[in-house]
Amino acid sequence: MLFSGIPFIFFFLTAVLLAYFTAPEKLKNAVLLLFSLAFYAWGEPRYVVLMAVSIFLGYVFGLLIEKYHGKKWDKLFLVLSVVTGLLSLGYFKYADFFIANFNEVFGVSVPLLRIALPIGISFYTFQIISYTIDVYRGKVPAQRNIISLGAYVALFPQLIAGPIVRYSDIAIQLAERKHTTEKIAQGIRRFVLGLAKKVLIANVLGELCDVFQSSGDKAVLFYWLYALTFTLHIYFDFSGYSDMAIGLAKIFGFDLLENFNYPYISRSITEFWRRWHMSLGTWFRDYVYIPMGGNRVTKPRWLFNILVVWMLTGFWHGAAWNFVVWGLWFAVLLVIEKLWLLKPLEKSRVLCHIYVLFFVLISFVIFNADSMREAFSYIGAMFGAGDIPLVSAEFSYYLRSYAVIIVIGIIGATPLPKLTVNAVSKTKHGGTVMAFCEPVVLVLLFILCTAYLVDGSFNPFLYFRF
Amino acid sequence: MKKYKNYIVISIMAVLLFGLTLAFLLKSPDDFSESERRVLAQFPELSSETLLSGEFMEDFEAYTQDQFPMRDGFRGLKAVTALGILGKSDNNDIFVAEGHVSKLEYPLNEDMLNNTAKHFQNIYDRYLADTDTKLYFSIIPDKNYFLAEKNGYLSIDYDELISTMREKTEYMEYIDITDKLTISDYYRTDTHWRQEALLPVAEALGNAMGAALDDRYTLNTLDNPFYGVYYGQSALPLSPDTIYYLTSDTLENCTVTSYDTGKPVEMPIYDMEAAFGRDPYEMFLCGADALVVIENPNANADKELVVFRDSYAASLVPLMVEGYGKITLVDTRYIQSGLIGNFIEFDDQDVLFIYGTQLLNNSIMLK
Repeated sequence: MLFSGIPFIFFFLTAVLLAYFTAPEKLKNAVLLLFSLAFYAWGEPRYVVLMAVSIFLGYVFGLLIEKYHGKKWDKLFLVLSVVTGLLSLGYFKYADFFIANFNEVFGVSVPLLRIALPIGISFYTFQIISYTIDVYRGKVPAQRNIISLGAYVALFPQLIAGPIVRYSDIAIQLAERKHTTEKIAQGIRRFVLGLAKKVLIANVLGELCDVFQSSGDKAVLFYWLYALTFTLHIYFDFSGYSDMAIGLAKIFGFDLLENFNYPYISRSITEFWRRWHMSLGTWFRDYVYIPMGGNRVTKPRWLFNILVVWMLTGFWHGAAWNFVVWGLWFAVLLVIEKLWLLKPLEKSRVLCHIYVLFFVLISFVIFNADSMREAFSYIGAMFGAGDIPLVSAEFSYYLRSYAVIIVIGIIGATPLPKLTVNAVSKTKHGGTVMAFCEPVVLVLLFILCTAYLVDGSFNPFLYFRF
Repeated sequence: MKKYKNYIVISIMAVLLFGLTLAFLLKSPDDFSESERRVLAQFPELSSETLLSGEFMEDFEAYTQDQFPMRDGFRGLKAVTALGILGKSDNNDIFVAEGHVSKLEYPLNEDMLNNTAKHFQNIYDRYLADTDTKLYFSIIPDKNYFLAEKNGYLSIDYDELISTMREKTEYMEYIDITDKLTISDYYRTDTHWRQEALLPVAEALGNAMGAALDDRYTLNTLDNPFYGVYYGQSALPLSPDTIYYLTSDTLENCTVTSYDTGKPVEMPIYDMEAAFGRDPYEMFLCGADALVVIENPNANADKELVVFRDSYAASLVPLMVEGYGKITLVDTRYIQSGLIGNFIEFDDQDVLFIYGTQLLNNSIMLK
């Protein structure tokens, strides 16, 4: 079930809000867990059992690790917990990738398993792993209440697309959290803005990406338009979804960490990854990069660590070579920056932005390609390979048709709207004006989003496949 | 104001969210959308099988979209926002130009043209090759022929479409009617052409086929606003068209028989029940019945015409009855071409293939 869908907004959300806010305090987590399981079962009726088993194993391993803390058994249980999580992820997400490559390399034909990818498995597996590791590290006590742990892992706002919430960040809130009008209003505001980002911008830009891919009238500038559009689309799609997740969690009293911070204004790729999918970046930093030694090792080992972490980051996004190459693409750029480029970039004002946007744009062409062959073909075409014209009738038409939404997307990807609102709020009557405008804008956006959803517009969600 | 801001946000959004949900739950589901002219999704079958397969969830989404309260209003709001505020050139491929609503017809589909030509060839081989029939072919330009390229919309290459179809139907004499039409000869909110503007087209066809058509017609106005097919699809607040229809003594004396169900059923040239129904254009020879026969006892000549056609011909053919004692209209979207021989014995008739460019470019329905 998508947050940006009528069944979620007008049926699931209304039901869960009614049940949650009428339930007594001590039953609120149980209500959340039940609704979260129902939410998951709606999209994955068969795999809800897999998630329940994963939660149960995480719960048991957490208790065992804590019980045997300081003894050799705790490490064994930790390894078992991590291995079962990774095996499950490997089986459901990566098995066919490895079989296909094995077949390719050895010229055999081992049949593919063709298993449907359980929605959100990459997210909840990482959350359970981070939980048991944190218990092992003594950072958090093991959760004794399986309902609370279940509510953490399955918490529907972040279940299928993150942000990847650390147990340590939410443990206290699971036991005790406040529900204030301030928080609920903030949550509503964030949810509606995220919904608008997703429905009014991302979905519309996604239409253009689809139009491009099925076009028989491609041109060099059409490829560039596609690259730009997809770069904006994926940002509004994913950050819009994260906004909705953070907003929903806030309505239920949880404070989740931010996942995006205007990544396209970055002055370096290093900064880009501090602003893009922050919960994933910090997860890999804390649970892979630092345990491998981070940068406190020899230079060759440090470079190796970076390559491994970014290859895994890419691979996490999907079982295909283009995701691995996408991760390595950033690894190479990050290494170059760390060794030579960071200081010159800091000195530049414009060039650094062009540099970041260019490499990010190309990276997303790789990311969205069906194969590396397609990625090479697209990137080649962007630079004139393949004997295609510079412009075409379709390019001109769709550029004109989507120009306004692209401009809105570009401006919306910067802090400019937020800064403007803040600046107006600080003026003499600005606060009052904003207090009046805010509910009006929220209502208008919500009604507009409903209109777009009722019209049955294009409404996919990219991160469903992760 | 600032003090109460949070209460206001929560209250308004709660009223909106729960209000719309309640309205949905209280509203009885509609079977049919008059504006979109389509059957609406109903509450899906609930069973362990449909639940486990995910079919229920998928169908439920379609059901909530189709049955949402004030659906037409929301669709209109979306269309106005997309076209008027966000500057989209089209909304779901529907665009407005020169006061007309139209739908993008793009790109030119060579496979479909081949399919159309093959369909015509099969009919020719099966029924017409060894007869004395005289074969004619004409292409009806859709509204985009006049609107699309001129107004910056994606347009198929009509010259290429026409020349391709002519090359593939060399066994027929081509009659060009494109110069007899302008955009004002079409309804603003519908895909079809206006009958009262078709006399030059009928004359051009009659001249080419040697049929004398010099009848005098009376112009009648249908007392029912015509909201064409694009009106509903566009969801825009547009004023309706007016349907005019032409009558004459010759037409009044004609008998019309439809074989849509296989059995002969008498029907009028202009069906007034259909004129006040879901699609008023269907008043013209019932729109698109599979096989319709018009017999004219007062014909200028004892000629017979067979028309292979789509719905455009329904309003055109009444203007040609004067030149023929019998006209048979065949719509092979609704009758297998293999069954035509059960109703028509091809001998020395005039045979006209006349189709709109939209159907030629999307001929998947031809049987």
